[in-house]
Amino acid sequence: MLFAFSNIDFFLTRQKFRPWLMKKIIETQVLIIGGGVTGTGIARDLSLRGLNVILIEKQDLNAGASGGNHGLLHSGARYICSDPEAAVECSNELNIIKKTAGHCVEETGGFFVAVSGDDEKYIADFPGKCNTAGIPFKKIDVADARQMEPSLADDMIAVYEVNDASINPFKLSIENVNDAISMGGQYFSYCMLQGVEIKNRKICRAEIQNMISNEIFYIKADTYVNASGAWAGRIASLAGIPISMVFSKGSLLVTSKRITKRVINRLRKPTDGDILVPGGVVSILGTTSVRVASPDNIFPTVDEVDRIISEGERMVPSLKTCRYVRAYSGVRPLVSEGNNDDRDVSRGFTLINHEKDGVDNFVTITGGKLSTYRLMAEKTSDIICRMHGIVSECRTKTIALPSTESGEWSEPGVHISESFAPKTRHDPVLCECEMVPASAVDTIINSIKNNKGNPDLISIALRSRVGKGPCQGSFCSIRILSHLYNTHELTHGAGINDLRKFLNERWKGEQSLLWDQAIVQSSLKEMIHCGLFGLELETH
Amino acid sequence: MKDKQAINCDLLIIGAGFAGMVAAARASSLGLKTVQVGNSSNLFLVSGLFDLLGVYPMASGHILHDPRTGFETLTADCPHHPYSKTGYKKVLESFDFLKNFLASAGLDYQSKNNENYFVLTAAGTFKPSFMVPKTFLKGCSIKQGPPKRVLFVDFKGLREFSAKQIANVIQDTCSIASTLTIEIPDVSSTLHPTRLANLFEDIQFLNFLSKKIMPFSKETDLVGLPAVCGLNKSLETIEKLEAMTGLDCFEIPGMPPSLPGLRLKNAFEKQLSQNNVIFLNNSKIQSHEFKNHHFILTAATENLMAEITTRGVILASGRFPGGGLHAKRERITETVFNLPVRQPEKRNQWYHLNFFNTGI
Repeated sequence: MLFAFSNIDFFLTRQKFRPWLMKKIIETQVLIIGGGVTGTGIARDLSLRGLNVILIEKQDLNAGASGGNHGLLHSGARYICSDPEAAVECSNELNIIKKTAGHCVEETGGFFVAVSGDDEKYIADFPGKCNTAGIPFKKIDVADARQMEPSLADDMIAVYEVNDASINPFKLSIENVNDAISMGGQYFSYCMLQGVEIKNRKICRAEIQNMISNEIFYIKADTYVNASGAWAGRIASLAGIPISMVFSKGSLLVTSKRITKRVINRLRKPTDGDILVPGGVVSILGTTSVRVASPDNIFPTVDEVDRIISEGERMVPSLKTCRYVRAYSGVRPLVSEGNNDDRDVSRGFTLINHEKDGVDNFVTITGGKLSTYRLMAEKTSDIICRMHGIVSECRTKTIALPSTESGEWSEPGVHISESFAPKTRHDPVLCECEMVPASAVDTIINSIKNNKGNPDLISIALRSRVGKGPCQGSFCSIRILSHLYNTHELTHGAGINDLRKFLNERWKGEQSLLWDQAIVQSSLKEMIHCGLFGLELETH
Repeated sequence: MKDKQAINCDLLIIGAGFAGMVAAARASSLGLKTVQVGNSSNLFLVSGLFDLLGVYPMASGHILHDPRTGFETLTADCPHHPYSKTGYKKVLESFDFLKNFLASAGLDYQSKNNENYFVLTAAGTFKPSFMVPKTFLKGCSIKQGPPKRVLFVDFKGLREFSAKQIANVIQDTCSIASTLTIEIPDVSSTLHPTRLANLFEDIQFLNFLSKKIMPFSKETDLVGLPAVCGLNKSLETIEKLEAMTGLDCFEIPGMPPSLPGLRLKNAFEKQLSQNNVIFLNNSKIQSHEFKNHHFILTAATENLMAEITTRGVILASGRFPGGGLHAKRERITETVFNLPVRQPEKRNQWYHLNFFNTGI
């Protein structure tokens, strides 16, 4: 008996080293690599054109730059000097996205504000350049501007109004994926591309690893899209194709309350700490531009935080004293063109048909920005359709992105009023900072499971406001963990590690902001999770 | 206008957290005329456990069964640590003093001289601690004794306590870990711990509860409950439940608001007032000077302005949650006397990037 058992055990543990054992092969028409706004946008675009797609992501939705940005739909005015072409694209896309994905957008409007000491030539050139690019703007009297936005600095010298808007990139990706799935597409989270096999100038299959179970499987597709953003160079290299990327980290701060009605941009050459974007009940201040060697393991530093605040307070003085709840970073994927200042590298996107590199069914899309994600998806899908020999117009320009229930809970604050009294008596609020009830968590759990994912604290937090309020997960983490155990989503000691991972992930965004109330809150978190629960110790 | 009052005393204790409370207990027991200022309401955040030394050295994460072994290494490593200056014997005497002090207020604690308890927490982890409420005691046998058959009980609406979670996490430590969820009639989606504690003080509720537990009694040695079993007479409550069910029962500490913390607050306040400690609750020091070998301080409450002349002051104002320290973006300051605070030069050295880093 014992002998037989250990043999089975041996067999199982050795399985992944035995290539002759059959591994799962999944077939589809298009494999898209990368679950950011571009990848999810392509998944929807191609599904609308009748192609069958699979989207794989090595972590979960918006793990890269799509989740680490301002959530700003640019009017385009920011780029009128540095990148006029991108400015025009932004302006056009803004109107399309407002029309087709209005439920992800808040039409805040925006100001460009100059304060005393700012470059007068830049200010003087601004209206002319906007005109040239066809970007609508309006000059606002400084006194009127102060009435409209009382938080603005006393020493403003010029203000222009533009039609910036804020967008929720998490909701956008969730809705794009949901729509693709509703048309037969599939989304695999925590699935990482490990290699591709190329025969006769074509990728014939991709080797994929499930990062949770470690299972290796294959996806056979007719065409392959590399939409992995900052990781595009790494993915292309698996097909033996070099793409030289530079990584520019930008960090952002989230205030505990919304500070302005509109997006506030500094009217000067783009630099650090010059945009304040409202979203729901909070505002987001950023950003920085720091060259980093790798897009992995990035986090906001104390120096960046202090620099962002000291720049931001020139436009809005209360940014010096307000409470910040968290900070986060993203990496701008920029294709290297040999420039020194990363802000001068084009924010326009890079679309490469790898036919020129000897691979006929492989496309890379990278660079660009949130504002132009739809256009990037459209142009990429155009090439893919040509490769499939399909003549099909892009439909994302006109067909509205449907709103689904599982996308609702990623919106900052919108549900506070609606859900203050949860509908049924058995629907307790699990996250009190952001008023997320158990029923919302259940909706999210189901949607994660439908996408073949693993519902854990991090994936639930990604799809909701859980952990994003002032307590930064000190309390809701335990409540949601309890809920996951009560609903049998978790067993054994798995939840303890899950809790550790979640708290550490939140901590990345807290550690640079520890002063005033935030340090009190984090001390309390330490008292509970380390002092009492002893999570820093390996007691299990 | 606030009332003005002049107070003369031997000792002023600034702070009403654990340290301030114990200092006031000790000082008043020694016959010092003691005044205490501060805010005791933060005690609802504490777990109710008194630790001596559970892990040493920290970086190794080495968990101590016998705190004395770690104590000896620590005193050798850090001759300036308060423990090194006090000595093990004196520390144990202080624990005994505290235990007796709380017992006289009707709150029963227990400690063993050279052994830590391993207290089961609501997360399902075991925390090493030195002196624990007697109501927690039987749960400590899960980690240390022979395997038990444990029934974990939770309450629908008590959102931060899951019997299933605990049973799942510790299932390998018990021989049987079963669970029971109690639904209380007329409870909406959320059940506040203090409301539940009130219910526990009602004998009819205990009857209701024991009837729910009884069907499990054949396959159960121990019953674990959230630490909400009454506010005032928790041990008595647990004993009543034990008599009704014929099973050993214990409490499991968890998230704040903490009933064991509130029990401590009540016990301290009751006994300190019997010891004639003047407690200016919810007060803050407004000014201070040192003159003729005395401190003269003013303390303000909502309706009183007290001028306190004292021979000595104990500063027990705590860290950030207690308000003893305040962090600005640039510096950490001490809030009462503006004492110099030794600190790293820059904020990026205040904390480690890993929340669970134990290295120093």
